[in-house]
Amino acid sequence: MVKTERRYQIEELVYRSCLALDAKDWKSFLDLCDEQFHYTIATFSPEIRKDMVWLDHDKQGMVTLFTNLPRHNSDHSPITRHATVYTVEVDEATSEANVVSAIQVFRTLLDGGATELFAVGRFHDTVKLTDSAAKLARRVVRLETRLLGYGYHVPF
Amino acid sequence: MSKNAAQWSENPGFPQTHYVDSRIYADAAIFAEEREKIFKPSWIIACHESEIQGPFDYRLFNHPTGVPLIVVRGDDSKVRAFYNICPHRGNTILYDPAGNAKRMTCIFHQWSFDTRGNCVDISRADQGYQNRFCKQDASMREVKCEVGCGGFVWVNLDDNAASLGAFVGGAMDILEPFMREPMEVFHFHKAHVRTNFKLWHDTNSEFYHDFLHYFNRITGMMQPGYFDRRYTGFPNGHATVGSMEIRYDKYEGSKDRAVGWPGLAPGGWYMVDLFPGMTYNLRTSVLRIDTAIPLGPNEVIIEFRGLGLKRDTVEERRQRIFDHNMIWGPFGRNLHEDLLAVHGQGRAMRDGTDSRWVIQGREEGGTIHDEVGMRHFYAEWSRRMERPAYDPYREGKPEPVRAAA
Ligand code: FES
Ligand SMILES: [Fe+2]
Repeated sequence: MVKTERRYQIEELVYRSCLALDAKDWKSFLDLCDEQFHYTIATFSPEIRKDMVWLDHDKQGMVTLFTNLPRHNSDHSPITRHATVYTVEVDEATSEANVVSAIQVFRTLLDGGATELFAVGRFHDTVKLTDSAAKLARRVVRLETRLLGYGYHVPF
Repeated sequence: MSKNAAQWSENPGFPQTHYVDSRIYADAAIFAEEREKIFKPSWIIACHESEIQGPFDYRLFNHPTGVPLIVVRGDDSKVRAFYNICPHRGNTILYDPAGNAKRMTCIFHQWSFDTRGNCVDISRADQGYQNRFCKQDASMREVKCEVGCGGFVWVNLDDNAASLGAFVGGAMDILEPFMREPMEVFHFHKAHVRTNFKLWHDTNSEFYHDFLHYFNRITGMMQPGYFDRRYTGFPNGHATVGSMEIRYDKYEGSKDRAVGWPGLAPGGWYMVDLFPGMTYNLRTSVLRIDTAIPLGPNEVIIEFRGLGLKRDTVEERRQRIFDHNMIWGPFGRNLHEDLLAVHGQGRAMRDGTDSRWVIQGREEGGTIHDEVGMRHFYAEWSRRMERPAYDPYREGKPEPVRAAA
């Protein structure tokens, strides 16, 4: 059983990661990540019956990606991430936690403000624990949604 | 000076081959005609052979005409294509987009079909039909199907269509040296965009829009050889783009990358645009294939595939996936810009917007920023549609007062 304090700390890390990304505050997001952080977006295609990786970066790769975002011709409608932490499993021996969260991403159109459900999936996070802190060491976004309209540049 | 209504309506002052009336991107009647005159008799990519590797493997495909198809590998390993429509009461026979079906059994009344399109069982046939109707009367509708051009599975709804080879002609020659080894699909996704299918194919048929892409602007256009690439038109509306100087004999994969493509020089880039909406795109370590499947005059599904070699090691495959994602992945740096741009065209050109013309007037000796690729497409479009793309309703628009510079 994970101690309540620990669980709160880990849940807050996941939620803060959503808040930072929603705000396009890349620095705050990266501050939540360990130096060894690795980010992946993966999904399964029932059409070709294969697992697919759609994005795969280490921390430096994410920094480059974030740096380049404003240089792209992008859809500017904001997205909002709604996460719910489902399970938290702490391995005291390695001081790591495996965290599974449900994630829904909504997109709100700038003109008129209509909000549409954009994507659903799961975060499979590995969290590195120290006495005082919890940091994201690995995030695998397992997308259920694969049809993303005309697309989006920003990772979920 | 801005334009008034009359000036906005004047044709753009280019030769008639160099502009298109933008109503051909929005008119429902024209779209219905395109399905009949363009998509029905054309060879269309349904999937790749690696998606149906074993006997009884199948893949569904929504044909641009609207016809739902099953592509299935038979017990004899031959790939065939059928309507995914039950001859009994019209149900869908197979529901999942891919799978393995030794018998294709309709869920509704359990009529059953083999992979050669024969009906092999009608439940309680004798009791209900006596001698009036039997299995032999209940075959599936088979459509023409060929595997070719890099192991793709092509379908054609016209029973009298000429062969795939005749349709493609010499357009694939430029890629042939790079497709001698068996390939495998590792990436598949669809994009749904409210735009006309031709606008997607146009984007694939011109490199002038490299100005849209930040990275192409700062890197691609600066590279030596960029302006040396040349468009070549082929019969039936196909066009290719490739380096004028092919030095694949000098390179076994690219030297400055961990993984390249056999025979492809570093920085090499080859594209084949096949009428009416398919594109082969070979670059770095990946072959990308686009198939445009229109759902209406202002709505298209584009299927994207990424392919590597079947013999790839785990490490090689990982590199190809990385290279693919970087440029063309759903979260990559170029694809969204292309999709956003054609979405924007769809917005500005839909019915009632008073969009009038699309100019395809650039001439640069057939090189990379020349718009000859699109012009070549619309010449074929006009031929098949029996109406000129510049004046689809034969209204004879007023000539501009000012001649083109
Ligand atoms: S509709 Fe298919 S068996 Fe009746
Ligand atoms: Fe592009």
